[in-house]
Amino acid sequence: MLDLEIITPEKVLVKEQVDMVEAKGAYGEFGILPGHTQFLTAIEVGEIRYMKGGTTNYLATSGGYAEVIDDRVTILLDDAELAEEIDVEKAKREMEEAEKALKALAFDENQYKLMEMALFKAILKIEVASKRHL
Amino acid sequence: MATLRDIKRKIGSINSTQTITRTMKMVSASKLRRAQEDLEKVRDYALKIEELTGRVIQNMPDDAHPLLTAREDVKKVLVFAIASDRGLCGAFNLNIGLQAEDFVRENGHLYERTGIYAFGRKVNDYLQRRKYDIVKSFVDVKKIDRGVVDVIAGHLIEFYTSGEFDKIYLTYTCFRSPVKQEIVFEEFIPISRADSGEEPIDYICEPERPKIAASLIPKYVSTKIYYALVESQTCEQAARMSAMENATNNCGEMVRYLTLVYNKRRQEGITNEMMDIVGGAEALRGT
Repeated sequence: MLDLEIITPEKVLVKEQVDMVEAKGAYGEFGILPGHTQFLTAIEVGEIRYMKGGTTNYLATSGGYAEVIDDRVTILLDDAELAEEIDVEKAKREMEEAEKALKALAFDENQYKLMEMALFKAILKIEVASKRHL
Repeated sequence: MATLRDIKRKIGSINSTQTITRTMKMVSASKLRRAQEDLEKVRDYALKIEELTGRVIQNMPDDAHPLLTAREDVKKVLVFAIASDRGLCGAFNLNIGLQAEDFVRENGHLYERTGIYAFGRKVNDYLQRRKYDIVKSFVDVKKIDRGVVDVIAGHLIEFYTSGEFDKIYLTYTCFRSPVKQEIVFEEFIPISRADSGEEPIDYICEPERPKIAASLIPKYVSTKIYYALVESQTCEQAARMSAMENATNNCGEMVRYLTLVYNKRRQEGITNEMMDIVGGAEALRGT
């Protein structure tokens, strides 16, 4: 079993024993099973999954760090939401706003990258939310 | 000598002061609760980031990141003092002011320059009045959020990397419980690598360790600042609450005392009048 802790500045999102953790690191997706070597990575914008007794839970995050030492997995995130807690309506609104802003902006503006990121995050949230347990 | 009317007026004014202090106490009690919640939220994250940063930089060379490089010749030091914009909270602001003052007085002669970065109007005014070298100040803070923290972190990092200061200290009030707060004074930048005695961990790092450190260190700096600000804010409310509680109690005591004086004086007046009347009647009967 792995001791998983997922912490954001807002609150401790997850603190439990799980079977497996998967996330998107700097060099692509990785999975952690018990017995993993000591590992440190930057987490990219994306989905984090953890499996426990046959069920999979999903989170959407905008990035952070993950550390594995002796079957303790500590994930520190700037911002993250559990699939069950995502406000889909809000995410859709954010997506529309970002799309609208992107159409109005020229490609080379600084804002463009920011809005692109915002759009990406909004889409990610909607995607993750669709995987929630009903 | 105060007349009866004067005493009565005084009692009235103390009563209305008491109403104000009691209200302020209640307001700060509810603000304290909220601040404590904020503090709880961020505490875990801040501690974990600090631990993680400690482990990552433990066996890194000095020149791996500008904020790790300790300068041999420390000539100019900066004290980042965190207090608040508002008063009526006991010695809260004064304590931070005194802490900064003591440091400058005791160590000022060792350095070419000891600057102060004041956060909060009260501590800024206090130190300015005493003609200390205020390099920068941050006042009128509406709400402590990422924006505020980023600005401050930017200033501090800039002060260090540009060579304007060789060492930055941090002082703030740390919240232990609603009745116990402690002043913390610590070295902040360059980030020290305390030898915890633990074996350095040989991670597999993705991307390479220096790259992770390069993004983690600024995050550590801003998290630390944010945490200190939230701690300080919580303490401010706790300090205000107990200051206002004391004020309310003192008002009550004063009203009790003045009421006693008032009644005594009134009785005295009545007795005197009675004596006059009796004396007058006696005198009349004699004729």
